[in-house]
Amino acid sequence: MLKDFLLLAGQSIVHRKLRSWLTVIGVFIGITAVVALISIGLGLERTIEEQVAKVFGVDTFILMAEGTFGPQRHAGGSAEEYALDLEYLRSIDGIKVAAALRERTGYVQGPPSADGTSLQGFFPVMGLSPELVTEFESFTGTLKALPGGRLFEPGDEAVVVLGTEIAERLGVTVGDTILVAGDESAELDLTVIGIMAPGEGGDDDSGGGFSAGMRPSADKDTIYVPYETMDLLWGPAEDVLVTLVRSDPGVNVDELADRAEKALKARGSDVSAVTYSDISEAIGTMTSTVSAFLAGIAGISLLVGGVGVMNTMFTSVLERTKEIGVMKAVGAKNSHVLMIFLIESGLIGLVGGIVGTLFGLGLSAVASSFIGRFFDIKLAVVASPTLIIITLLGSFAIGAIAGLWPAWRAAKLPVVDALRYE
Amino acid sequence: MSLLDLKEITKDYKLGKTIVHALRGLDLGVEEGEVIAIMGPSGSGKSTLMHIVGALDTPTGGTAFLDGQDLQQLKERQLVALRGKKVGFVFQTFNLIQTLSAQRNVELPMIFQGIRKGERARRARELLTKVGLADRVKHKPNELSGGERQRVAMARALANDPEIILADEPTGNLDTESGGPILEMLKRLSVEDGKTVILVTHDPDAAAIADRIVRLRDGRVVEEVGRA
Ligand SMILES: Nc1ncnc2c1ncn2[C@@H]1O[C@H](COP(=O)(O)OP(=O)(O)O)[C@@H](O)[C@H]1O
Ligand SMILES: [Mg+2]
Repeated sequence: MLKDFLLLAGQSIVHRKLRSWLTVIGVFIGITAVVALISIGLGLERTIEEQVAKVFGVDTFILMAEGTFGPQRHAGGSAEEYALDLEYLRSIDGIKVAAALRERTGYVQGPPSADGTSLQGFFPVMGLSPELVTEFESFTGTLKALPGGRLFEPGDEAVVVLGTEIAERLGVTVGDTILVAGDESAELDLTVIGIMAPGEGGDDDSGGGFSAGMRPSADKDTIYVPYETMDLLWGPAEDVLVTLVRSDPGVNVDELADRAEKALKARGSDVSAVTYSDISEAIGTMTSTVSAFLAGIAGISLLVGGVGVMNTMFTSVLERTKEIGVMKAVGAKNSHVLMIFLIESGLIGLVGGIVGTLFGLGLSAVASSFIGRFFDIKLAVVASPTLIIITLLGSFAIGAIAGLWPAWRAAKLPVVDALRYE
Repeated sequence: MSLLDLKEITKDYKLGKTIVHALRGLDLGVEEGEVIAIMGPSGSGKSTLMHIVGALDTPTGGTAFLDGQDLQQLKERQLVALRGKKVGFVFQTFNLIQTLSAQRNVELPMIFQGIRKGERARRARELLTKVGLADRVKHKPNELSGGERQRVAMARALANDPEIILADEPTGNLDTESGGPILEMLKRLSVEDGKTVILVTHDPDAAAIADRIVRLRDGRVVEEVGRA
C-alpha cells in the first residue's frame, strides 16, 4: 500500500511541476548551505589532523611546561620553562630517544680583532640535543648549517653554532673561538663549528603553522650550543622549553607519556606530556566549535527554507481539499490521506535535499580551493557519507513535517465539506 | 427489513447565525435491487439525502438504517468501510482526480481497500471496458469528454462491487446523447447485477428508468409514484 501511496504522491508532484519545483528550491537553498558549511568545517578539521599527524607520528610525545598546552601557545614568543633531568628521562623504560631544548641569555665575547678590541654583549643562548636535529626533523624543520660548517653531533662539547647575524657582528667564521659566560664564574671557550642557515621559507612551508612553535627557530642572532654544554654554563636544566620523546616500537605512547609525566613530576619537573591524541582532541574541540557555528548559520537558512516549504505545502494542500474529499468519498481513511500527503511533501523535501547536497558539496569544493589558495595550504575536500545520509533523511523529514499540519487539517475535514470546497 | 430505511430524518446546517433545515422529517424505504429516482426542485434536500445514505454526512435527527446498520451509531472506521465497499457514488461534477489516468482513478477505491496491484489493474480495465472506455485507460480526465469522464466515474463507483449506487444528477452536466448511455448502464446494473440504484435527476426521461419516483420538497417526501 505504501508503494501505491508513493505512486499517487509521485504522480501528483510530477503533475504540478512548477509548484513542486518552487518548493524544492525552498529546501534546496537551505540544504546547500548546510552541506557546504559543514563540509568545509570537516575539510578544515581533516586538513589540520593530517598536518599534525605528519609532524607528530604516532610514537612521539612532547613535554611542555604544565598549563601551556593550548591554542594560545605562541602568545608572547617565550614559553614557560621547566626543570628537567634529561638523563633520567632517557632511562625510563620504553623511551627510545629524548631530546630537549633549553634557553638562557649569556654574555658573549668574540675573538680580539686587529686593533685588540673584541665585540661583546648579551645574547640568547640555546642548548639543543643533537637528536633534535637528527631524530625529530619533522618538528624542527630542516635545520642546516651553511656550507663549510656543520651542526651538532653526539659527543660534541666545547662547540658552538651561530646565527648568521651574530656571526657577522662578532666577526667570526668556522674554526674561530668565542667566549660564552654563564652563571657566576662559569665561562667556556667554544669553537665555532657552523653557521646556522637562515630558515628557508620560514613559517609558510606546509605544516609550518604547527611545527613552528616546536622549532628552535633559526634566529639570526641566537647562539646554539649542545644541550650538555648548557650544564657547564648554567648547571642542571631548569630552563627547558620543550622536550621531544620517541617511544620504543610497540609501546603505547599515551601510557608511556603518562608514566613519564608522573615520574618527572615526582622529581620536581613541572611538565605535562602531550601526545598526538591530546592534540587531535584539542583540535577536535576547536574545529567542532567552528563547525557548530557554521552549522548554526546553515540551520537558520534551513529554517527559512522550511517555513517556505510549509507555506507552499499549505497552499498546495488547501487547493486540493476537494481531492481529499474525493479520496475519502471512495473509502480513504484519514490516515491514508495523511500518508499520501506526507509522502508527497517528504519527497519534495528529499528532491530538494538531493539537489542541495550535490550543490553543497560542489560549493564546498570550490570554497575549499579558494580558501586554500588564500592561505596557501591544500584543504581536504570531504564528502562525508554520514553527513549525506543525515542530510537526505533530514530533508525528507523537513518536507514531511512541513506538510503534516495542512494535511492533517484537510484530512479531518468532514467529507461533504471537503467535496464542496472550490 | 428494507435495504435502506429512513425515518423522520432531519438535517440542519449552521450558516453563521442562521440554521438551514435541509431535511425536515424525511421517510424513505428502499428495497434491494430497486431503481429509485429522486426528483424535486433545487434546494429541496436531494443531495443532502444522498450524502447521508452514502455515509458522507450524518443526519441531525431521526433513524437511518442501511443494511441493518444504524448509521448514527457507526464509528468513523465503520463509516469509512461503508463508503469504501457498500456504496458507490457518482457525482454531477464527476470528481475525478486530475493527476491520475482513467485506470488509476478506477483503481483508487481498491487501493484504499488494500487490493493487490495486479488484481486491481485487471479489474479496473475490465470495468473501463464495460463502460466502453477500453481504449481510454491511460487518458487523464482532461483528455476525455464529459460523457467519458462520467463513465470513468461510473467504473470507479463499481470498483469495490458495492450493493448500492448513488448517482446525484449524473447526467446534469451532460447532453442527452452522452447522458443516455449512463442511464442505460444504471438500469442494467439493477437488472443484470441486482444492484440497488438511487438516482437524483431533474429529467423526467431519466426518471423513466426508475421503478419508483420519489418527489422531495422542502426536505420532505411529498409524492411517491411507483410500480412497486
Ligand atoms: N454544507 C451546507 N451548509 C449549509 N447549507 C447547506 C449545506 N449543504 C446544503 N445546504 C443547504 O441545504 C439545502 C438543501 O441542499 P441540497 O441537498 O444540496 O439540495 P438539492 O440537492 O436538492 O439541490 C439547501 O438550502 C442548501 O443551501
Ligand atoms: Mg443537489
